[in-house]
Amino acid sequence: MSALLLVFLAIGALYIGVYDFNGASPFAVLKQFLQGDPNLALSDKYVIWDVRAARIIMAILVGSMLAVSGTGLQGLFKNPLATGDLIGLTSGATLLAAIAIVLGGHFREYLPEAVQFSLVGISAFIGALLAMMLVYRISTSSGKTNVVMMLLSGVAITAIGFSITGFLIYISKDEQLRDLTFWNMGSLAAATWTKNIVLTVVLIISYIVLLPKGKALNAMMLGEKDAQHLGINVEKLKKQIVIITALMVGTCVAFSGTIGFVGLIVPYILRLLFKSNYAFILPLSAVFGSILLLVADTFSRSIVAPSELPIGILTALMGGPIFIAILIKFKKSL
Amino acid sequence: MIKAHHIMYKHKEFHILDGIDVSLEYGEFLAIVGPNGAGKSSLLSILANEVKQGKQKILFKNKQISDWDVRELSKHKSKFSQHNSNEIPLQVKDVVMMGRYPYFDSQPKKEDLGAMNKMMYETDIYHLKERDYNTLSGGEKQRVHLSRVMAQLDNEIAHKLVFLDEPLNNLDVKHQYKALEIIKKFTQKANSAIVVLHDLNLAAQFADKILLMESGKVSAYGTPEEVFTAENISNAYNFPCTICQHPVNANPMIIFG
Repeated sequence: MSALLLVFLAIGALYIGVYDFNGASPFAVLKQFLQGDPNLALSDKYVIWDVRAARIIMAILVGSMLAVSGTGLQGLFKNPLATGDLIGLTSGATLLAAIAIVLGGHFREYLPEAVQFSLVGISAFIGALLAMMLVYRISTSSGKTNVVMMLLSGVAITAIGFSITGFLIYISKDEQLRDLTFWNMGSLAAATWTKNIVLTVVLIISYIVLLPKGKALNAMMLGEKDAQHLGINVEKLKKQIVIITALMVGTCVAFSGTIGFVGLIVPYILRLLFKSNYAFILPLSAVFGSILLLVADTFSRSIVAPSELPIGILTALMGGPIFIAILIKFKKSL
Repeated sequence: MIKAHHIMYKHKEFHILDGIDVSLEYGEFLAIVGPNGAGKSSLLSILANEVKQGKQKILFKNKQISDWDVRELSKHKSKFSQHNSNEIPLQVKDVVMMGRYPYFDSQPKKEDLGAMNKMMYETDIYHLKERDYNTLSGGEKQRVHLSRVMAQLDNEIAHKLVFLDEPLNNLDVKHQYKALEIIKKFTQKANSAIVVLHDLNLAAQFADKILLMESGKVSAYGTPEEVFTAENISNAYNFPCTICQHPVNANPMIIFG
């Protein structure tokens, strides 16, 4: 049912935009394009397929992965505040992506072609993975997570990332500067079909591993030892979550910059309905993450049309109050 | 069923367990008793394959327990831990259903729901099944976990083993007896149980064998009549006691003071 809602919203988003298809409905134009109609004007073709549809699909893919990574992390840390941006994964990814952009030019020629092409993406993944391992080491001992330590190590990593990225902006050339600003703001405007294919591949791999882990994450609430008595290989589970969430966050950051709070908002809303039952909220966050980001992106490009609002502003507007609501609820236990 | 030879366990230089042998037959109810800090929970933990440190020789069904496949093992044995999580934001029935996780992939099958409901009836928590786990009292939470642990072993496999670490904490008298009757009924079907207990009189009444521990060593092992002598008990607990016969069931009865 929620998947239907998503399809409906995606079609709706197709209709919203500045460009005018000479009175034809965008859906009809898309249909024309898909049927390979030769009468279709080149600019219509470009706008419907390479601009609007590509961007809608990207919002769906990125939103879904950000939400699922948040839910997965919350299962691992047993806390609803654990999300990629709050514990510093996003900063780690941004930092290494920025380094790759600015310094990458110098040693680019020594690398094989395939690596060159995806240099930024791979660096973002490594950055997220390193940040993740650091936070986990600092905040968790013998299976128990200290929430304060978790959040503070996120603050520390963000601070380091911020200062180094600032320095890189200072020394970078004009063209690189534009790339960096885009990363810090977060935007889906640079959507292309090549990026969407890469995102889809990452999404499929991640979901095959992660989505069936709902039961295991539930069992982790009993504690690691008891989860093991229920037949769950706890060490393997933890490694899988660490690597897969880093992969998802890293890829999203590489292609759309830092879009905050999606991993916080979506699981929070789902928990209101399903408690913390990960068997439900893990697969559902895949759908609701898409819905959230698609709606937010459609707003961001239509509120101040023909210009557009950075999407991070909208997600932070929703995420901030939810962050505070969770803090108040857990005031006693923090 | 399970055989362990010469178990050693130390934390830094302090020996928590020092050369313990345990051996359990099919259908046996073994109670581990002893004063605080005697190493009862540590022993149970090691027997249940929770501790990875060192090479302990523990044979479960004639195979080294650490060589078992984790998922397969979970259908043969389960464990009730002493410190159960206080905060689980789920409903009671969801927590009990966790005991059935080894048996289904995404959706619980009919027999999983059946096993869940049956154990909730037996532990007297069926009326709480829609309640939030976090709102229960300590004793009710204990019963939820007892249900979960016993529902985990509701299958066709012969000779299963359950470990319980102080399952009677926080329970009222009626539920203490109920819990022990559930365990007793389980062992009467050729399954085995190893239970850490504090109440010596209940141990005498329900257990087939008693293992009395004192500072990491076995100080007495045998049937309740053999172990529960005034000398053994007052030595182990460092507290005077007298033993007489229980007027109803003729088991040894321990009176302290």
